[in-house]
Amino acid sequence: MVRLSDLPDYEARHLMAKNGVPLGPTPWVHPGQTLRARVFALITTAGIHPAGETPFQSNDATYRVLPGDSTGANFAMSHASVNFDRTAFQKDVNVVFPIDRFRELLDGGTIGGLASAHYSFMGAGLEPPAYERSVRALAGVLRRDGVDTVFLTPV
Amino acid sequence: MSAIAYYLEDEGIATTGISLVRENTESFRPPRFLWVSFPLGRPLGVPGDAAFQHRVIARALDLLNRSTGPVLEVFDEDAPGATEEAFVCPVSFVQPNSGEANTWSSRLRAEISDLAPWYEASVMQRHKTSVGIFEQTPIELGIRLGELLDQLSTPALDIKLLLEDLKAYYLEAVAAQPGASAEHCARWLWRETVLGEAILALRGRMRGSHDPRTREQAEALVPRRVLAELPE
Repeated sequence: MVRLSDLPDYEARHLMAKNGVPLGPTPWVHPGQTLRARVFALITTAGIHPAGETPFQSNDATYRVLPGDSTGANFAMSHASVNFDRTAFQKDVNVVFPIDRFRELLDGGTIGGLASAHYSFMGAGLEPPAYERSVRALAGVLRRDGVDTVFLTPV
Repeated sequence: MSAIAYYLEDEGIATTGISLVRENTESFRPPRFLWVSFPLGRPLGVPGDAAFQHRVIARALDLLNRSTGPVLEVFDEDAPGATEEAFVCPVSFVQPNSGEANTWSSRLRAEISDLAPWYEASVMQRHKTSVGIFEQTPIELGIRLGELLDQLSTPALDIKLLLEDLKAYYLEAVAAQPGASAEHCARWLWRETVLGEAILALRGRMRGSHDPRTREQAEALVPRRVLAELPE
C-alpha cells in the first residue's frame, strides 16, 4: 500500500522528497456538462507504448501515442523507475491504462465519446515545469480531436 | 501527473484521475484527483478485475461534478491483496555442461532457454506480451548482457532498456505458473536467477566507473527494496 506509514523509512523518505509546490493558482474548468456529453482521452505516466516504438529515455518529457483502436496487447513499458510492480501491467494493461473500461463506459452510454488516440508520458526524473511545453502542445491536439476531458493515471 | 493536470486544465481541458502518493498530490494542489491506497504500479488496483476497476473510475469521474476545487478525495477500499502462499518456482535451472565455459553469457543463455516454455505459455494464456522494446530475441539480449560482464566492457546507454526487456520476459514466464504472486516473482527474479545476479554485478561495476553518466545509470538498475535487503 502507498500509505507512507506502511512503507520502509527509506521508501517513505524517497517519496516525500518528491513533494513540491503548486505551479500556480489551481486552474479550474467549471462543470457544465454531464458525463454523457463529455469526450474523454486517457493519459498515463506509466511509460508505455506499442512495442518497437521509440522507448522513453531517462529525463524524457515527450509523449507516445497510444492508438485509439489498440488493445494494449503488445504494449511495452520503458519507464525509467525500477521501484514499482510491473507484473500487474503485464497481466492487464487496464491496471495502468483503463482503455477497456472506458470502452465499456462508452458502450453503456455513460460517457459521450472517446478520443481517436490516447497518450503516455514517463513520469520520472524531471521537475513538473519540464512537461509544460509538450503538455500544452498536446492540449491543442486533444481539442482538435474533440476531447474536453482527460482521465489521468500514474504508475 | 499533477503537472499534466495543471497544464491541461489551464488550457481549458477538464481533468480527473488517480493519485497514488497522497502527500505528493496534496503538495502540488492539482484540480481533481482520487487518492487510492494501492501499490505503486497499480493505479486501478486489481489486474483482471473489471468491476473493481469500474468502481475506482466511477469515483474519479464523480469529481468532475464538483463546483469548486482543488479536490483530493479518498477511495475507501483497499485492493484485495495478492495471495501469499509459499511459491516455489517450478523452473529448475540446469547448469551449463561441464565442458562449457561457465561464463555469464552461457549461464544467461541457459537460463533464458529454460524459461522459454513458460514464456510461450504466458503468451498463449494472455494473448499478449510486453516484451519487445528491442528487436533481438531474449537469448540475444542475454548474450549481449553476458558478454558485457565477461569482457568487462562499458555498457551502452541503452543497457537499462535491455534489462527491462529481459525482466519482462522473466516475469511473464514465471507468472504463467500457478501461485505466482507479484511479490514472489520479484523475489525470485532478484534472489534466485542468474539475471538478478548479473544485474547486481553490472551495477557494482558501473558504480566504479569514471564516467558520471554510467555511475548515474547504475543507481537506476536495482529497486531500493532489493538494495535494502542486500548484506552490508
